[in-house]
Amino acid sequence: MSKEVVLDCLGEACPIPLVKSEKALEKMEVGDILIVQIDHSCAMKNVPEWARKQGHEVELEEIDDGEWECIIEKMK
Amino acid sequence: MKAFFEKIKKNEFYKMWFKDALPYITGAVLLSVFQIATFASTGNPCGVSGVFANWGAWLFELFGGSVDKWYYFSSPGAQATLNAGVLNHPGTWRNLGIIAGALFAAMMASGFKIKKIKSWKQVAAASLGGLLMGYGARIAAGCNIGALFSGIASLSLSGWVFAAFMFVGAVIGSKLLVKYFM
Repeated sequence: MSKEVVLDCLGEACPIPLVKSEKALEKMEVGDILIVQIDHSCAMKNVPEWARKQGHEVELEEIDDGEWECIIEKMK
Repeated sequence: MKAFFEKIKKNEFYKMWFKDALPYITGAVLLSVFQIATFASTGNPCGVSGVFANWGAWLFELFGGSVDKWYYFSSPGAQATLNAGVLNHPGTWRNLGIIAGALFAAMMASGFKIKKIKSWKQVAAASLGGLLMGYGARIAAGCNIGALFSGIASLSLSGWVFAAFMFVGAVIGSKLLVKYFM
């Protein structure tokens, strides 16, 4: 059974969302989903970029004005 | 307003110019072109943080203070800039332009948001970081724009020295960040 983890990074500036995502994903199993909530436009660029480079499935959703959810499925 | 953005949301040029972030290369080329324009039109390389020191001096003078005897403002050039007033200061207009432009870009991407303060620890760290950056930029006679970017663009060795030590500082800062903020 895969689990879903929500990481609240609202109000946090770079590079905190990226470092937090790295640490959270490390503890998770393959197939788990990590949802990173961000409202810093530079994190909206570097979090998905990092996750894609690591080979994970990534989707970026615009939730509200200036607010995004980066949905990462751990692939390995 | 909402209807307007709903309408243009699907337009590919809107996406390319306003919604999606520009590639780093495009940003670098634009910055280079504009810093040459700045140098040509004002006679000074581009700088950001030095302007804040002048704003502080003008504010201090507004309340009856005088910075004539301060070492930082003692040069004839600095005195001339202060005496010419805030409205004749190119750096002031540039900084206001940066703020207005950033606001415009954020609004055009419908990304403007007033963010909540996460914790008092964040407030304390941001204030302390801001003070250190401001202090450091003044005693180094430049920040990452005036000393680094404009320094390197002027083919000055000092810009590269600044870059090397800023990198060292950034590594130490990142370690502290991970240690105390994660």
